[in-house]
Amino acid sequence: MKWLLSVLLASLVTPAWAQPWKVDYARSEIRFVIKQMNVPVEGGFKRFNVTADFDVAKPEQGMFRVEVDVAGIDTGSDEGDVEARRPAWFDAARHPKAVFVSKNIRRDGPGRFVMTGDLTVKGRTRPLSVPLVLTAQRPGGWLASGRFALKRTDFDIGGGEWADPSVVANDIDGRFKLLLMP
Amino acid sequence: MRDRYGWTLISLHWLTLLLILAAYTLGTLLQDMPLSPTKLKLYAWHKWIGMLVLFLLPLRTLLRWRDGFDHRRDLRPWEASLSGGVHAALYVLMLLVPLFGWLHSSAAGFPVVWFGVLPLPDLVGKDKVLAEVFKELHGSAVNLLVILVVLHAAAALYHHYFRRDGVLARMLPWLRRRT
Repeated sequence: MKWLLSVLLASLVTPAWAQPWKVDYARSEIRFVIKQMNVPVEGGFKRFNVTADFDVAKPEQGMFRVEVDVAGIDTGSDEGDVEARRPAWFDAARHPKAVFVSKNIRRDGPGRFVMTGDLTVKGRTRPLSVPLVLTAQRPGGWLASGRFALKRTDFDIGGGEWADPSVVANDIDGRFKLLLMP
Repeated sequence: MRDRYGWTLISLHWLTLLLILAAYTLGTLLQDMPLSPTKLKLYAWHKWIGMLVLFLLPLRTLLRWRDGFDHRRDLRPWEASLSGGVHAALYVLMLLVPLFGWLHSSAAGFPVVWFGVLPLPDLVGKDKVLAEVFKELHGSAVNLLVILVVLHAAAALYHHYFRRDGVLARMLPWLRRRT
């Protein structure tokens, strides 16, 4: 009985041993919703790079690093995509990457964690707290998902003529799904 | 017997004309406008006005159906058929133009929140190809609507200046009081 248990345990632990995880980008996404004239409009980022370095048994000791290529933004319209790369918004030429680095991960229930870290967008770094849910996938791997709230003014995104929050809201509702494969 | 449509129908007729003119002007302006906050505002107003035309349509149709007056009573049979046909086509287009616009909006992933307050349901899911199709249909229906509105107005002016049969004054009762 004892040997069976240890085999079972080993099979559970083994795939989690070799870190960091490989990200299945085709099934992963970073998306957001922002209200324009009070209309929720969905968008996302087509290109990003994730380093997920953690042990499923002890995610608290792990580390997440997400690097987003801001030029790969999808605002829902072609003219919006062009506009979003301009200096008033992301200034993609001067600040091509938005980076989140986790500093602390704490357990918040079974499979649930709260990740805090620094988000740097357009050269401005702000603390960000992200609830993280880890869901085991079949046959293997984990789905790391969560939502987060940002204010575009914190990063000087959409200034000048775009400053009016009644046209484009200040609040950004972000969400992500990352498929982590062993 | 009453020699004109009811006041509510007359008011709705002119209100609809104003709304269609406003939506058309905005739609034309928007076509060549680069993205800006003003464009987003005007786009919103274009959609809100279009939805108002759409939602007034059932009311207009109901009132017209209940109204006993038939505008075609003094017309020759072929004129009556032509007039009836144009009127029917105008009603169909007042339905189709905003409906295609709404469908385009839904398919493009930009839902309509009426006057910034009432979220209207998406008629179709987000689909780039479908969005282009509805955009084209919206534009073609608009062109057809413009042609029919011009034809409709020309007929009214023809009745007023050549036939002098009071057809225009029937829709413009304050015009009759002056003459």
